[in-house]
Amino acid sequence: MINGNLKATYAADEKIVDNRYKFSFVWGLAVLAALLPIFANDYVILVACQVGIMVVAVVGLNVLTGYTGLMSLGHAAFVAIGAYGVTILHHAASALSIPEGIQPFLTIPGAMALAAVIGLIVGLPSLRVKGVYLAVATLSANFIIIFLIELDALAPWTGGKTGLTTVDPSIFGWVLDTQREVFILIAVMAFSTVLLVQNLFRTRVGRAFIAIRERDYSAEILGISLLRYKLTSFAISAACCGLAGALMAYFYARVLPEQFELLLSLQLVAALIVGGMGRTMGPVFGVLVIVLSPELLKVILSAIAGDSIEAAQFRAPLQEIIFGLLIIGFIMFEPLGMTQISDRVFRALNRWPFARG
Amino acid sequence: MGQFLQFAINGLMAGAIYALIALGIVAIYKATRVVNFAHGYVIMIGAYLYYTFAVILPSAPWFPDLLFQPDWLVEAKSKAQMFSPEAAWLAWLEKLPRIIFGLICAIIGSSILARLIERFLMRPLLGQSNFAMIMITVGLISVLSGAKSMIWTGDAASVPHLAPNPALRFEVFGSKIFIFGANLVSMGLALVIFAAIVIWLRRSTSGVAMRAASEDQSTAYSMGISVPRVFANAWVLAAATGAIAGAILAARDGVSPALGLFGFSVLAIVLMGGLDSFVGVFISAMAVGILEALAQWQLGGDWVEITPYVAVLIVILIRPHGLLGQKEIERI
Repeated sequence: MINGNLKATYAADEKIVDNRYKFSFVWGLAVLAALLPIFANDYVILVACQVGIMVVAVVGLNVLTGYTGLMSLGHAAFVAIGAYGVTILHHAASALSIPEGIQPFLTIPGAMALAAVIGLIVGLPSLRVKGVYLAVATLSANFIIIFLIELDALAPWTGGKTGLTTVDPSIFGWVLDTQREVFILIAVMAFSTVLLVQNLFRTRVGRAFIAIRERDYSAEILGISLLRYKLTSFAISAACCGLAGALMAYFYARVLPEQFELLLSLQLVAALIVGGMGRTMGPVFGVLVIVLSPELLKVILSAIAGDSIEAAQFRAPLQEIIFGLLIIGFIMFEPLGMTQISDRVFRALNRWPFARG
Repeated sequence: MGQFLQFAINGLMAGAIYALIALGIVAIYKATRVVNFAHGYVIMIGAYLYYTFAVILPSAPWFPDLLFQPDWLVEAKSKAQMFSPEAAWLAWLEKLPRIIFGLICAIIGSSILARLIERFLMRPLLGQSNFAMIMITVGLISVLSGAKSMIWTGDAASVPHLAPNPALRFEVFGSKIFIFGANLVSMGLALVIFAAIVIWLRRSTSGVAMRAASEDQSTAYSMGISVPRVFANAWVLAAATGAIAGAILAARDGVSPALGLFGFSVLAIVLMGGLDSFVGVFISAMAVGILEALAQWQLGGDWVEITPYVAVLIVILIRPHGLLGQKEIERI
């Protein structure tokens, strides 16, 4: 591939942002995200927050499915644990009279650690089974965890089927009580998660994950402990989803168990497939498509049918169908996802004006 | 003891339906090596088709009402006591044409759906990785469930049972047992269909072709077996048995979108028994049926919904390929 990126030193080759298109893309997005809370209206902020939360969760799934090659259909459960965990920890911290200004610094890592521990437990079957068996095992874990959250015996902590009212975080006295303020937290977290995970794959641990994905037996022969790395991968991925859950709890006024059922797990997987598995930008592109397509549909439908009740009734099923068609369409026609399309665009830009395509 | 027996019988009756649904997943897996995550939703569509052709259409003014009402039946029905076994029999006999019409249309409709899925979603991916095909069935979940809510907007509704539904009471070991007739007949029907199809797959040419295709697609192709036809057969078989199971379930629990979720517990049962073993799946379907009944008895109705999932997790941890599943040998 002619890509016009001359690397003179090893360090340059190892940089996270290793060419100027990526550089301008990343900084462009960063500037855009920084400007959003100043200029954007409430609707844009709402959508941007949803994108940010989903990106964190899908990046987590990408570590497991995209890089380690372990299929999971149950990651919504980890998001649920993050959301409930952070809220419960806030109540516990208030009970211990820890000042509110420093609570998020304890509760967010606490929720992530809790999700990681549950991730380790859910990951145990991955040592014995893979592929479909693992997908069903994680799916089962998702059903069981949501069931436990809804269970009457745990209702004093989890609120049962009626859910929990969440807490507004306060960072050194700065209370994030509007969506605009929460967006700043979400954007910072989303950026750092993407960059940290990208960094992970320059390290020994990340390379081990990739080796396991390519051929787990060969990896084991090379001295990579499957037990250790598969569980590490589950823990990291669950921790990211826990972070997404914590952000979700801060963003929404209330968390309900049905938010974290199968539909969310499928959305996470769909975003990953649409974006492209095992690529850094895959989750970002995928989430943009998955979150923006219902919004686009809303705009188109209201343009065609106005605000009639029939149109509103049709919207939810139509969204579901489009969502399924996105998964099917990308698998059939662009199995490597949006990143493949963007690669083609960048390649064409690099070669221009000498060659096209 | 009496109560235990009652719950065990309930469990066996539920287990037989599980086995009938699981048959479809196993058949598709054995032929094509694809695990159909959307099977529950195919069943749901089957149940809604049964509802459409057995309830909605006959009640439409422009359609014949498909009721069997000779004079003697009307007379006997007016004399029969409410909730007596005779009344149940007569009500069933009256609706028999609707039931048959509905069931046949549901089977045909589901088979067409299965052919379409196989032809346009599965066959283009023939020879590619299984992962892609499995993810397509995951995408199908949303498509089918969205299509259902677009076509059938109504809420849960009730449909006629496939068999007469008198309440049967009898005594065993001095304790009273109470069974609904339709559930008993459904169990019998499910078991007969299951046995017939398993024997058919073992003995008939098409069954052998299906096994050959699952063993090695390209070799089977070169030996003159039409692999695409085998795939289509497997999907149609799964959809047809699924439509019958859907009709039974719809009569028992009412038609509702919850039927789709039911498929996931069956998927858990299939993995528990071993993806490629009819016997193992049968055993685990019966075991889960009984376990669910016992969970309902001892822990309460809520626990029923997670029983199959807990069971599959335990079995997978001990025996990764299910109770009787064949261990996959991997080339390194």
